[in-house]
Amino acid sequence: MATEVAHALAHPDDGAVHAHLSSAQFYWGIFGALVFLTFVTVMVSYFDFGSANIVIAMVVATAKAGLVATFFMHLRHDKLFNTLTFLAAFLFLAIFILLTYDDIGRRGEVDNDYGGTIKAQTGQVAPGGEPATSATADETNEKPPEAP
Amino acid sequence: MANVSKAVEVGKGHGEHGDHDHAHPSFLAHHFDTPAQQFNAAKLGMWVFIATEILMFGGLFCAYAIWRAVDPSIFDQAHHFLNKKMGAANTVVLLFSSLTAALAVRSAQVGKRKATSVYLIITILCACAFLVIKYFEYSHKIHLGLLPGHCFGHPGFSGAIQNGEEVGTCLRVHADQAAGTPQWVRAIDEDGHVQLLPPRTNMYFGLYFMMTGLHGLHVIIGMSILGWVLVRNMKGQFSKEYFTAVDLGALYWHLVDLVWIYLFPLLYLVGKPE
Repeated sequence: MATEVAHALAHPDDGAVHAHLSSAQFYWGIFGALVFLTFVTVMVSYFDFGSANIVIAMVVATAKAGLVATFFMHLRHDKLFNTLTFLAAFLFLAIFILLTYDDIGRRGEVDNDYGGTIKAQTGQVAPGGEPATSATADETNEKPPEAP
Repeated sequence: MANVSKAVEVGKGHGEHGDHDHAHPSFLAHHFDTPAQQFNAAKLGMWVFIATEILMFGGLFCAYAIWRAVDPSIFDQAHHFLNKKMGAANTVVLLFSSLTAALAVRSAQVGKRKATSVYLIITILCACAFLVIKYFEYSHKIHLGLLPGHCFGHPGFSGAIQNGEEVGTCLRVHADQAAGTPQWVRAIDEDGHVQLLPPRTNMYFGLYFMMTGLHGLHVIIGMSILGWVLVRNMKGQFSKEYFTAVDLGALYWHLVDLVWIYLFPLLYLVGKPE
């Protein structure tokens, strides 16, 4: 905050564009860090950490994306609202993915052989699920026993 | 700088009287008071656009997340058909092009017109290099028959290889279609190993082609935008007072880089290593 005030004082509001200027060496440094992180993520991929594989890959990717957005895309010295706009996209992306995931998760189980979604207990097509092949369709065509 | 400040001050004065015609610098649109206002408005617009771009790719990332959760085994197997070295090379090429795009903006900021042109040209050349590497990857996979509908098509459809039939390196195995046995496909991966691909592996390659395809389209659009910025720069339309298009063109290019930063590990790296 203090730096921003100093920045504003250094440039009285004359209406001209005062974009922050980073040195070329600084940008080369960021590039070096990005290449290093790429090297790390490729090397790590040759080892198996089980379910942590994707977590490690995503953490490194997010670090790289952070460097690009913060420095190459100037968010560090840009208006805060631009950063919020950018982050809002990820917020809504997270809502999108989580709700879809929840939806899929509650529709029944995916039939590993045929790809349709079925109710685990009865083998019937779950709500919203589509039988992927005639095999699952056959199962679902069997009518449940009628009540006497 | 002094000239602009002076022009802007005069512009401000006229603005109050609703008369913009003469005092504005030539690059300042009629409806803006100051170059800074114009610059900030353009940037905000670009960031909103970038947000919509992320959400557009988001549909594919969502599909990826769901399918990976549903059946990780197809990702474990199928990622062996992607060449990590080519993917890593393309990553470095794109990162470097992002660097030169950032340096192009920097040069524009300090009013070095020639340097801006050089950096823009390098960025566009890197984009070409990316597409060439991508071309080799795509053509190899198409040769292997990994496009949707060939190795993986339902045997009932024309064009799909039939049970027990061998086309290229693909062999559909478990031929007992009548009994509804799931369709496995045997194919030879990047390391020359024979892989038995489980049913629905086509989902992986479908995602691969769609995600990298949409990204590739963005690379081509980005090249066009940077080419347009380059032409305008060579015509001398930018100065250290006005370089909005250079900045926004570079932002678009960084977005292309950002998407690839996620695509590379998601498609090439996150499977079980052999």
